[in-house]
Amino acid sequence: MKFKNIKYTFLSLCAITALASCSDDDNTPMVMTPTCSDGIMNGDETGVDCGGTCTPCEDGMEPMGPDFTGTYAQVDFMGRPGINTVLSADGETKNSHNMSIPSEMQATFQAAFEARLEAYHDVYANILGADPAAVNFEPNILGDILNGPMDDGYTNNPVTATVLTTVLSNDVLEVAPNLPTTYFNGGSGAPNYEGAVGLTGRTPQDDVIDVSLILLFGGGDGARFSGQDTDGDGMADLPRLTSDGVGLTATVGTTFPYLGAPE
Amino acid sequence: MKKSKLFMGLGALALVGVLLVAADHIDAPDTMGTTADIADFYAFEPTLGSDNTVFAVDLQSNVLPDLAYGTFDENVLLEINIDNDGDLVEDLVIQAIPRDGKMYFFGPVAPSETGLNGSIMVDAPLGSVDISAATAIVETTSNGVSLFAGPRQDAFFFDFFQFNEVIGGTAPLGFKAAGDPTTTDDDDDTAVDTFDGANTMSIVVEIPNSLLGETTAVNVLQLPVYKTWVTTNAKQ
Repeated sequence: MKFKNIKYTFLSLCAITALASCSDDDNTPMVMTPTCSDGIMNGDETGVDCGGTCTPCEDGMEPMGPDFTGTYAQVDFMGRPGINTVLSADGETKNSHNMSIPSEMQATFQAAFEARLEAYHDVYANILGADPAAVNFEPNILGDILNGPMDDGYTNNPVTATVLTTVLSNDVLEVAPNLPTTYFNGGSGAPNYEGAVGLTGRTPQDDVIDVSLILLFGGGDGARFSGQDTDGDGMADLPRLTSDGVGLTATVGTTFPYLGAPE
Repeated sequence: MKKSKLFMGLGALALVGVLLVAADHIDAPDTMGTTADIADFYAFEPTLGSDNTVFAVDLQSNVLPDLAYGTFDENVLLEINIDNDGDLVEDLVIQAIPRDGKMYFFGPVAPSETGLNGSIMVDAPLGSVDISAATAIVETTSNGVSLFAGPRQDAFFFDFFQFNEVIGGTAPLGFKAAGDPTTTDDDDDTAVDTFDGANTMSIVVEIPNSLLGETTAVNVLQLPVYKTWVTTNAKQ
C-alpha cells in the first residue's frame, strides 16, 4: 500500500466522518452461546449450569455462581494514546471527554482541541520573544506522506490544525486485521518518506509520544522545533519539541501475554 | 528510574499542581488514581501474518504514590469496543469483570445497548482465567482465544516530568536529549522515562479475527481496520 497519491484523503475523511451514519449488518461474526458447563447462570438456566435445557437443579441446592446482574455506567475512556491528556485543556474537559462516546466527540471537542494545539505554540512564542499570534501550528508531514512531496513550501498541505484535530477528536484506535501493526513510522523522512508505514494499530514498542510530538510540532518536514542551532553559536535557538528523548524501558515479550512480569 | 529523580520530579509536580499523566494514566480528576482508571490501551497483530488481534488494556498504575493499584475491582466492568462499519458506534464488545480471583470474559457480541450504560452479556460467555500474581497464568479457550489478567510492567515510556515543564513554559529548551541507554545516568541534562519500573494491572485478550467478523471501516489510507476503544464502567 503506497502512502502517496491518495489525494486529500484527510479532507474526505473529515467529510465522511461528519456525515457518517453507515449501516452494515452483514459482517456479524460467530458469537459464543451459553453452555451447561460455563460456570455462569445464563441462557434459560434457573441455577448455575442447571435447570432449563440443562439437567434439573437439585431441590434447594442450586449452586450460587457469580452475580453479573446490574447496570454499568462509563467512568473512563481511551482510544488513541494521549489524546485526552494532551489536547483537553483542563480538568473539566478531561472529565467530560471520559464520559463521552466516539460518535459525539468530534462535535464536542474538535474546536477545543484546536485551541489547545495553538495554545501550546503560544507557550514557545512567549519564550522565544515572538508574537504568539504569529507562531502557529504548521501543517505536518502527513500531508506530504499522503499526497507526495509538494514543491510549494508545504503551503498546499491539507493537514491543517482543523483537519488534524478533527481526525484526532474522533478518538478511536484503528487496528488493521492481517496487516503488520505500526502506530506510525515516517520511513526515510522528508522529503520522500520512503518506507513510511502506519495507522494500523499500536504495539507496546511504538513510540507514540515521539510520533505525536512530530505531528503536533514538527511542521512540514517533521523537524520544525527540534533544538536547532540557527546562528551557529553552539547553543540551541529553537526548543526541542519533536522527541522526548526516551525509548522503551520495560520488558515486552514475543508470546502471550506480551507484557513483562511486574518489577 | 532512580528514586532521587522521582522525588525531584514530584516536587516539581507539587509546585505546578499537575498530576495528569499520559498515555491515559491518571488523565482526569474524576478517575485519577481510582481502581477504574484506564492507564493504557494497545491493539496489534501479534506476529507478522497472524490471523489474530491482541487487545491489551492497562488499568491502574503505581507510577506515583497513593494511587489505587494491585487489585481488580469487582464493581468495575472493562469493555473493549469494536466498530466494524465505521460509524464510531460499537458493533461488538468484549467485556471483562473479576469475581473471586477470576477474570470473566464475555463476547465478542453486539451489546444490549450502545453508549454510556450497559450490562454484562452473560449469554455470550467467552471464558475465564485465574487472576495472576507475578507469574502469568494464561487460559486458552476452545475457540482459540487467549486470556490473561494480572500485574505487569507498564510498557509505556515518556519523560512526563519534562513534559510538564514544557507545557508549563519553564523549559525554554524543550525536551531533554536522549541519555546513554546502557547506563543509569541520572544527570539533569538527559531524558528519563518516568514509567521505568512502574507496574500496572493488565487485561490481555488475543482473539482470532474470524470472531470479530469482516470490517468495512477504513483508516485514512483506505486500509480496512477495526475502530476500537476501551471504557471502564462502574456498577450503579
